[in-house]
Amino acid sequence: MSAIALVGNPNTGKTSLFNTLTASYEYVGNWAGVTVEKKIGSLKNGAGKLIDLPGIYSLHPLSRDEGVAAQYLIEESPEALINIVDASQLERNLLLTLQLLEYGKPTVLGLNMIDVATARGIHVNSEVLQDRLGIPVLPLVARTGKGCKEILSLLGQSADIPPVRFKLHYGEIAEAAITSIELELQPMKDLPNHRWIALQLMEQNPVVLDFLKSRMDIRKLVKLGDACQSELQRKNLALTLPQWLRSVRMDYIRSLCLEVLDRADQKPHNLTERLDALLTHRFWGLPLFIFIMYALFKTTFDWVGGPLSDLVDGLISGPISEGANSLLGFLGASNFTHALIVDGIIAGVGGVIVFVPQIFILFLIISFLEDSGYMARVCLLMDSTMERMGLNGKAFIPFIIGFGCNVPAIMAARSIEQPKDRMLTTLLMPLMSCSARLPVYALFAAVFFPERQAFAVLSMYVLGIVFALILCKIFSWLLFKNESSVFMIELPPYRMPQIKTLSRSTWEKGKGFLRKAGTIILAGSVIIWLVSYAGPGGFDVAMDDSYLAKFGGLIAPLLAPLGFGTWQAGSTLVPGFLAKEVVVSTMNIIYHAPDTTGLENQISQVFTPLSAISFMIFILLYIPCLATVGVIKKETNSWKWTFFSMGYCLVLAYTVSFLVFQSGKLFGWS
Amino acid sequence: MTLHLCSLLQLPTGSTVSIHKIEGINPILRRRLADLGVLEGVRIRLKGKGPFLGPITLECNGQLFAIRRKEASRIEVNLA
Ligand SMILES: Nc1nc2c(ncn2[C@@H]2O[C@H](COP(=O)(O)OP(=O)(O)OP(=O)(O)O)[C@@H](O)[C@H]2O)c(=O)[nH]1
Ligand SMILES: [Mg+2]
Repeated sequence: MSAIALVGNPNTGKTSLFNTLTASYEYVGNWAGVTVEKKIGSLKNGAGKLIDLPGIYSLHPLSRDEGVAAQYLIEESPEALINIVDASQLERNLLLTLQLLEYGKPTVLGLNMIDVATARGIHVNSEVLQDRLGIPVLPLVARTGKGCKEILSLLGQSADIPPVRFKLHYGEIAEAAITSIELELQPMKDLPNHRWIALQLMEQNPVVLDFLKSRMDIRKLVKLGDACQSELQRKNLALTLPQWLRSVRMDYIRSLCLEVLDRADQKPHNLTERLDALLTHRFWGLPLFIFIMYALFKTTFDWVGGPLSDLVDGLISGPISEGANSLLGFLGASNFTHALIVDGIIAGVGGVIVFVPQIFILFLIISFLEDSGYMARVCLLMDSTMERMGLNGKAFIPFIIGFGCNVPAIMAARSIEQPKDRMLTTLLMPLMSCSARLPVYALFAAVFFPERQAFAVLSMYVLGIVFALILCKIFSWLLFKNESSVFMIELPPYRMPQIKTLSRSTWEKGKGFLRKAGTIILAGSVIIWLVSYAGPGGFDVAMDDSYLAKFGGLIAPLLAPLGFGTWQAGSTLVPGFLAKEVVVSTMNIIYHAPDTTGLENQISQVFTPLSAISFMIFILLYIPCLATVGVIKKETNSWKWTFFSMGYCLVLAYTVSFLVFQSGKLFGWS
Repeated sequence: MTLHLCSLLQLPTGSTVSIHKIEGINPILRRRLADLGVLEGVRIRLKGKGPFLGPITLECNGQLFAIRRKEASRIEVNLA
């Protein structure tokens, strides 16, 4: 089966096209660096596999996601390439195209975002482009699917994509060096195109250098490159060899663009100009960001999410529970089964399902922000603050994604260039309050701060960010010796997110939550219920004599200084490590609550407002969940850092909850 | 041709100039700028300055991007 790879600059619509051509739902967003992993899908017409790669500017990677793409091209061998270029940014995009043509595989040029180019009065003559580059050029609008049929039928006969014959002449001096390097490479087998390797070597592409180093002695090759460079310097043609190659390419592209681009009636990007004047305004920009965040939480809790959640709650505690009760009675289920289903599964899983509407609305708004182009602006607004803390503004894209779920957020940190910044972002991610922690806040806020729910919940998120900033400063000072960071972000044009994309990406994010409800939360609920049903004295014991109470009782004394030293609170924490939602499931089971109102009543008796705050803070900070720990390990590739991230969270949670509770008591609050 | 050189940062918002020299900036950043085609001789436009001495927004070849003031001050431009 043949494999065809999608390659192109970041944010040009590769994943959008991938989704249409393979009927998948991979992550799409309007900033550079959305895709950070290689993704594989099957072409709709069965013509083979399509590979989606992270966006790259050149084959010389800077960040980890770019490394993935460069590595792929060198180590694996796709049959053909689809090079996606942004028609409204043709000049910049073609620099990569030239290097891909040198790669020598059959290539199709996908001229994407034709709609954007047209709207801006930029006309690209695709026939001339096709003629000059010698490869098929197809105009596309990946977002609506225009042109996808043509691509599919072209790929249907991938053998028919003509081989590339494009060759750029780099001048006598460089060409001589290329020829001698090619000669040295001749005996090697299984290498991509030799001319391409020679050129990449001369550009000092680290991926190619490493790849060759593992197979041959490259000292001679490097010497050839050096000699060529001195020759260029002597003739005053360029300072370095890479610079020379680049300038030859740029010259070619400039003359090509003169032929194919018609920018006679080019217009500025009006919408983007106007929105930026407001959203990145030097005084209003930040307050507007804070207002948008506030609106996000207000919508999630008060305006839309709350009422919907109440509906679901009514459904579960009413018809569903009653239905299950009578069905079980009718079937003559044993007491054990009956209790397992009603007190275990329905209470545990149902108690979390209640929050589905709120979580989906949160995801919907995050998806909207992702696809609008605002995320890059947030990075811009936050950079000066982040710089003072020893990080850079780009960390805010992962941070906001982390409000949904920490796992994809840690992956998103791959597009941060500096290893130190990436490490800091990864380590701090558990402090971003993910949607799994939301049920806990929602529950406690409803009990103790009914008038100011959105505000109470928002303050948890803010608290998480504040601690992230403080620790960022400390970590970058202690662990990274205040190594300076760099910052540069591309600001894509704003786009109105499409309903189709929005609903898909909301569903893709929310699906994970539903899946968890059916797996970890379900299993957790059954186990928790079992250990609350059984005890040293046998089955069906009073809850206070159950294994769960014994176990929670072991932890409780440790938690007493924090204000919630009960076995009930203690026993929620350990299963909460598996998935934070299980904290609420466990509470539902322990307090035997028939519905949320019942649970709220119970909680108001065991917690005081002060201990509730302390508990919410503890849940916010105490530990990254199992899945997050897994991805931290994978991304840092170090157990040391993984344990560090868990350890500092525990210490921080304990200290802060302790201080809050004890000082609150001193002030006479309760 | 006479040169009127100054740093990018000293320009008033909204002006378009050509880059004379990029020197002494972090190599990672330099590569990134080159990726976007920000090189000597290229026209560049200062779009705006961010809050709290934050990054400045630039436009080059129709692409908007932002860099910090410190780095912008190392980009020497030609007013002529
Ligand atoms: N107007 C318009 N927007 C498009 C088109 N194709 C993609 N987009 C939008 O461009 C943005 C980027 O799309 P992606 O598919 O994520 O781009 P990508 O190339 O995979 O980006 P990276 O993974 O970051 O390299 C999204 O907001 C898309 O909705 C198009 O043809 N026209
Ligand atoms: Mg992508």
